Amino acid sequence: MPNVFPRWTNRLPALALVGLLLVGTAATAGLWYYFTPKYTRVGYSPIQPVPFPHSVHVEQLGMDCRYCHSAVEKSWYSNVPASQTCMNCHNQVLKDDPRLAPIRESATPGSRPVEWVQIHKLPDYVYFNHSVHVNRGISCVHCHGDIHKMDEVYHAKPLNMTFCLECHRNPAPNLRPPDKVTDLAWDPHKHLPPDWGAKAKKEWKVNASQNCSACHR
Amino acid sequence: MKTIPPPCPEPESGQRYWRSLDDLADSPDFRQWVEREFPSGASELKDPIARRHFMKIMSASFALAGFGLAGCRRPEEKILPFSKQPEGYVHGVPQYYATAMPTRGSAVPLLVKSHDGRPTKVEGNPDYPDHNGGTDTFTQASILSLYDPDRAKRFTRNGETVPAVEALDFLSNVGRTAGQGQGLCFLLEHTSSPSRLRLQQEVAKKFPQARWFSYEPVDLQFGATAGAGGSVPFHKLDQAKVILALDCDFIGDEEDTCRHCRNFAKGRRIQKPGDPLNRLYAVEGLMTLTGMNADHRLRVPTSSVLAGATAIATAAAPGNAAVTALAQKFPLPTSVDPKWIAECAADLAQNKGASVVLAGHRQPPAVHALAAAINAALGNNGKTVVYREAGPQLGRLGELRELLNQGAVSTLVILGSNPVYSAPADFDWATTQAKAKTVVRLGYYEDETFPFCTWHLPLAHYLESWGDARTSDGTLAPVQPLIQPLFGGITEIEVLARIGGMDSTKPHDIVRDTFRQFAGQGNFEETWKKFLHDGFLPNTIYRPRELAANALGNILSSATAPAAPSKDSLEVVFHRDYKLDDGRWSNNGWLQELPDPVTKTVWDGLVLISRKTAEEFGVENTDVVEIELNGRKIQGPVWIQPGFADNSLGISLGYGRKRGEKGGAGRVGQNVGLYNAYALRTSAAEYFAVGAKLTKTGRTYKVSCTQEHGSMEGRPIVREANAEQYKEFPGFAKNMDLEAHSEHIPIDPKTGKPYMIYEHPYSGYRERKGQVAVDLSKQMFVSAIHQWGMSIDLSTCVGCTSCVLACQAENNVPIVGKDQVSRNREMHWLRIDRYWSGSADKAPKEMIDDPQAVTQPMLCQHCENAPCESVCPVNATVHDEEGLNVMAYNRCVGTRYCSNNCPYKVRRFNFFDYNKHPIGKDLYKSPLTSSSKGRWNLLNWLKEPSMHHTVEEDQWDLMALVRNPDVSVRMRGVMEKCTFCVQRIEGAKIAQKVKAGASGDVQVPDGTIKTACQQACPTDAIVFGNQLDPNSRVSQLKKLQHDYEVLGFLDTRPRVTYLARVRNPNPKMPDYHAIPLNIKEYADKQGNPFQAHHDAGHTNSHAQKGGAH
Repeated sequence: MPNVFPRWTNRLPALALVGLLLVGTAATAGLWYYFTPKYTRVGYSPIQPVPFPHSVHVEQLGMDCRYCHSAVEKSWYSNVPASQTCMNCHNQVLKDDPRLAPIRESATPGSRPVEWVQIHKLPDYVYFNHSVHVNRGISCVHCHGDIHKMDEVYHAKPLNMTFCLECHRNPAPNLRPPDKVTDLAWDPHKHLPPDWGAKAKKEWKVNASQNCSACHR
Repeated sequence: MKTIPPPCPEPESGQRYWRSLDDLADSPDFRQWVEREFPSGASELKDPIARRHFMKIMSASFALAGFGLAGCRRPEEKILPFSKQPEGYVHGVPQYYATAMPTRGSAVPLLVKSHDGRPTKVEGNPDYPDHNGGTDTFTQASILSLYDPDRAKRFTRNGETVPAVEALDFLSNVGRTAGQGQGLCFLLEHTSSPSRLRLQQEVAKKFPQARWFSYEPVDLQFGATAGAGGSVPFHKLDQAKVILALDCDFIGDEEDTCRHCRNFAKGRRIQKPGDPLNRLYAVEGLMTLTGMNADHRLRVPTSSVLAGATAIATAAAPGNAAVTALAQKFPLPTSVDPKWIAECAADLAQNKGASVVLAGHRQPPAVHALAAAINAALGNNGKTVVYREAGPQLGRLGELRELLNQGAVSTLVILGSNPVYSAPADFDWATTQAKAKTVVRLGYYEDETFPFCTWHLPLAHYLESWGDARTSDGTLAPVQPLIQPLFGGITEIEVLARIGGMDSTKPHDIVRDTFRQFAGQGNFEETWKKFLHDGFLPNTIYRPRELAANALGNILSSATAPAAPSKDSLEVVFHRDYKLDDGRWSNNGWLQELPDPVTKTVWDGLVLISRKTAEEFGVENTDVVEIELNGRKIQGPVWIQPGFADNSLGISLGYGRKRGEKGGAGRVGQNVGLYNAYALRTSAAEYFAVGAKLTKTGRTYKVSCTQEHGSMEGRPIVREANAEQYKEFPGFAKNMDLEAHSEHIPIDPKTGKPYMIYEHPYSGYRERKGQVAVDLSKQMFVSAIHQWGMSIDLSTCVGCTSCVLACQAENNVPIVGKDQVSRNREMHWLRIDRYWSGSADKAPKEMIDDPQAVTQPMLCQHCENAPCESVCPVNATVHDEEGLNVMAYNRCVGTRYCSNNCPYKVRRFNFFDYNKHPIGKDLYKSPLTSSSKGRWNLLNWLKEPSMHHTVEEDQWDLMALVRNPDVSVRMRGVMEKCTFCVQRIEGAKIAQKVKAGASGDVQVPDGTIKTACQQACPTDAIVFGNQLDPNSRVSQLKKLQHDYEVLGFLDTRPRVTYLARVRNPNPKMPDYHAIPLNIKEYADKQGNPFQAHHDAGHTNSHAQKGGAH
C-alpha cells in the first residue's frame, strides 16, 4: 500500500498536543493576569469634566472627607457632593477660573448636574455598605488608596471579591480608632501598638462576615 | 444606584488604525491616553530610547485596553450628583411617610417607604392606635397600581388629548354656568373623607338644585346602615367571646378586614392550656375565609341566611314581636338541624355583653336588622358593638338613571367609578349615560366608561394625593402624597373645589382647611405637623349613638326573600372577588396572580358549585356551563368548592373585561376570565338572585390552580387540637409522626447527646429534647450574637394572604402569567397552603360537603440540615453563620437540584426572564427562534443588541420604579426563595453596628427586624427574631408546648416552627367533632396523638408492619 501521508506527519499528533498545551497555558496565563480586576481596574483614571485634585483639597487644605462625601457615615452610598457644596468655597476662591466653569454652570438653578465619570463601581449583585465600614474603624485609604495624594483619582485597589475577603478574613490589622478613619495621612503602624487591632476586634465584637449573605442579596 | 448604564459615547481611545507602534506613539490621543493610564510611563515616551522599551512591554496592554479592543473595559458610567441637594436627603436611606389608603367607609393607616423620592413599599402604621402595622392584600398591591403603565395619563375631550389647563378651566366653567344647579348631577364613590364631605356640602349649598348620587357595585355600608335605621355599627371583636357571622366574611370581604382580623386573633392567641379562646359561628352559603376559620359553620344558600338568622333571633332574642312574625314568614329550611340554631343561640345568650352578631354586605337590611336586634337583646350594645350616625345618604344609581332617561341631566360629573362596566345589567348604562349632555369623569384608567365621557380627567393615586380619611372608629388620618402626580393626575376634592369655584383648589389647602375643624386648641401648625408625622389625630372618634329600637321593626316587617333555590331554579351569588374587588384591581398583575385564598386559583373567575349540585348536573371541574338568569346568559368554568351550599352558584365580580380601541381594561386585565358577572347582575338582586338555569356546553376550559390537592391524607403537616384536648394533653403536637418516637433515640451518656451518624456543623446550638446546646464559641461558622428563627401561629393565621403580597412587593418577585402558573411555575416565595378535611362518618364523596379547613403559610424553612445546600454543584446556596439559608444568585447556574431536594418545595426557579419579557406566550420567544417585523430576530438583535427588551418601553421604565433597590432583580436561570428578608436583617445589623461604633453593642434588639410577611400580617401570626436572645418573642414562642416542625422527621431542623392550631368547638352543637377532622384521619392511620405514645392504638400499625417495639 503506498504511503498516503508523508513521514513528517508522524510527528504531528505529538506536536499538536504540545502546541495545544503551550497555547492553553499561555491563554490561561494571559487571562489570569490580564483579565483580572487587579490588571483591568487598577490604574483606571478616566478624564473627569472638572480636574478636581484631592491632593490640594485634602492634603494641602486639610478638608475632611465627610465635608463632601457627607452620606458616607449614614448610607451604603458615599455621595459625590452636590455642586452647591463646591460653590460654598468656590464662589469666592478661584471664582472665575475656567476649569471650574462646569461647577458654576451646574450650580445655577435649573441646570444639569456635572457628569462625573464613575471610577469605583461594584457589580449590581454586590451590596456594599459604606457606613458600617467607616463607623467601625476602616479607613478610606484601605480601599481607595492614597486619595489625599492623588491629583486625579485613579482606581487604586482591585476591589474584587478576593480583596474584600482578605480583610474580612483578618480585619484586625486594618482597624483603627474611629476618629482616625478620615485622617488619610495617619499611619497606624507608627501610632498603634501591634496588638491593638486584635484587641479592638475583640472589644468591638467585629464580626466581618465571610458568608455570601453579607454582600450578595 | 443599581441601574442599567446609559449608552455612552465612544471612548476617546476609539478604534484607530496605525501601521506601526511608532506611528501610534506620535498621535496626541495616544499620548494623552498614556498620560492618564500610565502616568509613570508618559515620561518614557518622550525619551526615544526608553520609548522603545516602553512600547515593547506595553504593546499587549495597548491592544487589550483600548487601542485595538475598544471596550474591554466596562462601559463608562456617570455619576450625577445634585446641583443643590435637598435638605436631609441621603441617597440609599429610605424615608418613611405616614399616610392612609382610603377604602369605601374607612381607611388603612400606613407608613410608606420611599426611596429616592418615590414610594416603593407600603406598610401599616404601627403607631396608629390599636393597630399593629398590618395591612390587607389590596393595600400591599396598591403600590403596583401607582406605576401602572395603563393608567390614565392625559386630559381628554371627546377622546382627544387636551392641555390640562383647558380641562381645568372647563371645570370652573361648569360651576360658573350652573346657576342654581339645575341639570347638574354628581355620581360619587363611597369614601370616609371629611374633606370631600365638606366640599360636597359646600357645593350643594352653592347649587341647591344639583343632585348627588353614589354607586358602589359592592356596597359595604348600605345593608348595615339601612338595617340599623341610619346608624353604622362598629364591631369590637376583641371584646367578644362568641361571634356569629351571618354571611359576613369579616376576615376577607367586608369593610375593615385588617382590624377585624386583628381583633378576632386576639381571642385566638393561645400560650398555654386553659387560655380563653373565642368561638366563631358562621352561617353562609359561599365558602369564605371566615367560614374556614369558624368553629361551627352552617351551610345554607345565601338567600336562606335570612331564615337562619330569624331562627337564631327567635331563640336568642325572644319576645320580639317583629322577629316572631318574620319567623313565621320565613321558616327554617328543612335541611337545617334545629339543634344547630338552638345551641348557637344558647351560646350567644350565655355570653350576654360578650357576644356579637355581624351581618354581611350581601345580606338584605332585614338580616342586618336581625343582627342589631340580637345584639340589643343580649346587651352587647356599647360593649362589643357601638353605633354612630351614618353620614348623609346620597341618591341611588336607579334614581340617576331615571333622571337621565327623562333628559334632565345636562352635566354629569362622575368621580372615580366605572359605571359602564359595573352598573347593573338592566340599566344599560352605556346608552343611559349618553343621554346626559356633557359627562365629565375623573378616572384612574381609560376604561369602559371612557368612550362615553365628554371630558376625561386622570385621577391621582392615593400615594400621589393630598387628602384625608377617617378609619371606622372615626380617627382622622391624613392621606399624604409621597410623589408628585406622575402623570398630572388630580384628586376628587380638587374637582369639587373647582366646580364650586372655591378660592383654594389645591388639595393640600383644602385638607388643611378641613383639619381646622378637628385641630382644636393649641398651635395649629404644630398640630398639623404632628398629624402628618404620626399619621393620625387622637381623640377624633365618632360620637356613639343609641340605636333606635323601633326602627328595626319597620325593616323587619317589610323584609322579603326569594323562594328557596332548587335544581331548576338555582341561586346565583355575586361575590366580591378576593383579589379584584369589584373589578377595580383587574390591571394589577400581583393581585391577578395571587392565589384566591379559598380556591387557590389564579387569573380566572369561576362558577363555584357544591359537590352535590355538580353531581346532579353531571358537571366536573373546568366544564364550561351556561348560566341563564332572567333572560341573561353567561358562560363560565365550573369549580367544585368544598363546603359550598347546594343549588347555589358563586360568580365573582371583576372578570371578563375587554380592551377596545377606545378604552377598556388594561393590558394585564383584559380577557381574564370567561364571564363578566355584571352582564348577569341586575338592580333587583345585586348580591344574590334565585331562578337561574344551568346547562352544559360540552366545552372545557383550563383553570390554573396552585393547589389542587386539598387533603393532607393523614399526614401531620398542620397539627391541631380542640381546646379541651390541648388542656389534657398539651404536648400533642410533638407526639405525632416520627417525632413521637424521639424518646427512643438512644443518648450517648458521654456527651449527653443522641448518637448520630452525621453531625451537621450548624446543628449545634438548638436545644432538642434531651440535648445540650453546643458551645458556640468553639464553632467557627455559628454566630454567637444572632441566630435567626421564626414562629408561625396557626391559631391566629386566618389565611388572608397579605403576607404573600408583601413578600412579592419587598423582594421584587415577578409574576409569570396564567400559563406558567398552570405549570407550577408561580414565583411566590411564600404560599398559604389550604387543606380540607372531612368527617370519616360520611361517605367518601360526601366528605367535602361540610369540611374543616386549615391554612398554613409555607416558606423556606431555613433548615439547619438543609437538603438543598449539599446538592448544589456550584455552591450557590450556603448556610450563613446566623442560621439563614442564603442564595447567591450570581453563582447559580440553574441546575435546579436544590429545588428537587427541597421537601417543602419552596424554591422557585426563573424559567424565563419574567421581568423583561411580557407574560404569556411571548415568554417563549428568543432571538434565535422568533421573528418580528419580517426579520429573524437574531439578525435584528445582532444589529441592535438593546432590542432584547421585548417589553414595551413605557412599561419597562415605569414598572422598574416599583422595585426595591435593596434586593437583586433575578434573571432567567436563577433559583430564588425566601431569604428571611436578608436585606432587612443586614440593614438592621448595619444600623446597630453604626450605632455601636467602637463598642461591642452589636446585637440587634428584639423587634427591630420585621420580615415583610411579619409586618404585613394583621394578626401577628408570624414572628421573627433572634433565638439566641432568651427574652425575644420568638424564643418564648418556640418554648411553648404546642410548637412543632413541619416534616421534622426528615431531620432538616427547620428554623421556622409552627404553633399548632387550637380550635374551640362547642360540645353541645350537632356538628361537634371531638377531634379535629384531619387529626382524626391521622389518628386512624397512625395513632392517637392525645394519648401517651405507648397507649395509643399504636401497636396495631406496628404489628401490621411487623416491626419490633
